[in-house]
Amino acid sequence: MFITALPTIAQMVGTNRILRGVSITSPTGDPSLAAGDEHELRVAIMERALEMLTTEVGPTTIWEQS
Amino acid sequence: MDGGARVTIVHYVNQFFAGLGGEEAAGHEPVRLEGPQGPGRAFAGAGATPDVTLACGDDFFGEHESEALATLLAWLEELNPDVLICGPSFGSGRYGYSCGVLAREAGRRGIPVVAAMTPDSPGVMATEGAAYIVPTGSNVAAMRTVVPIMAGLATRLAAGEPVGSADEEGYLPRGLRSNVRSDRPGAVRAIDLLLAKLAGTVGTEVGPTGDRVPPAPAVSDLGGARLALVTEAGCVPQGNPDQLPTRHANVWLRYPIGEVDSLTAEAYESVHAGFDTTAANADPNRLVPLDAARALERRGAFGSLHDAFYTTSGVDTPVATAAKFGQEIAAELREAQVGAVILTGT
Repeated sequence: MFITALPTIAQMVGTNRILRGVSITSPTGDPSLAAGDEHELRVAIMERALEMLTTEVGPTTIWEQS
Repeated sequence: MDGGARVTIVHYVNQFFAGLGGEEAAGHEPVRLEGPQGPGRAFAGAGATPDVTLACGDDFFGEHESEALATLLAWLEELNPDVLICGPSFGSGRYGYSCGVLAREAGRRGIPVVAAMTPDSPGVMATEGAAYIVPTGSNVAAMRTVVPIMAGLATRLAAGEPVGSADEEGYLPRGLRSNVRSDRPGAVRAIDLLLAKLAGTVGTEVGPTGDRVPPAPAVSDLGGARLALVTEAGCVPQGNPDQLPTRHANVWLRYPIGEVDSLTAEAYESVHAGFDTTAANADPNRLVPLDAARALERRGAFGSLHDAFYTTSGVDTPVATAAKFGQEIAAELREAQVGAVILTGT
């Protein structure tokens, strides 16, 4: 599965499991958060990614973080 | 003045070519500027002077596509141009994409559009045949050759003059079919087509659709699965010991993380030349989420983390090269009995 802040490009080239990342320069983090909060966010993103890996999906499916 | 009808030309560029700034200005919202800016001056020199230049930051367009598009299209509706010129965006992924999307939407609204980019740019697919795209080389050195071709197409389109086929004019095939009257009977044309096919000289603008792979089945036993982290974000050990190219990468690399819990700024960095790496270099876990993967591994959320991560820098990377990297990495991961992969991209 692919975490990216540009999900429409991923969709165009045929990626099937797409999770929207936080931003282009920081797909799995958010520099505006305090370090502890950012780590929690990253764990949540990874949990969502694992959830997507264990879910049957149709072609070029995009999931939001929540 | 030649007495000809005055035409309106609008030019779309990104923050860099509008002179707003480099990566630090990639989050710039859409702006409307009078007259030619940056490469617009070259178009002016080639007889297609932009009346108005529209610009948007690459990241802003990517992250707020509908908002950026709404603003840009409202300006286009107000200006009602005779032609829209996008770029050239050369091999740039984000800039090419924004040019392609704007070209598609403007084209669908009846505005003739001329763009220019590398044939494998994501912008070509985004355009969906709604614009004339002149193929370019991957960097700005191609500006000199491409501007006169774009300007020629733009002035003719603006004047409502006919434009020939992709083959005759040198733009990329748009996948269009148009009816033409032939002066030869069907039987003769059928034989000619058969002979051309035998000689291998048949041409078509209706190309095959892109590569499609069916979705992999869901991972059934995550608790027993080995998980790997892969990235195109150019993440490497500090100092880039193996000299991963910052763009046009011709290699992917593998780095051991068996004893690593987190990608610290002291030990890792990104050398990707396609985005502002300030935030990523302050904490490379923002690109490759190793610290979160370790936390979840300890919690038993999945079986185990593969003992290496895989990296390349996806900048100006042809689709064929990216596909080859993907196949090579996947083969190695399959060999290592990895059952699931999380790929991160910028």
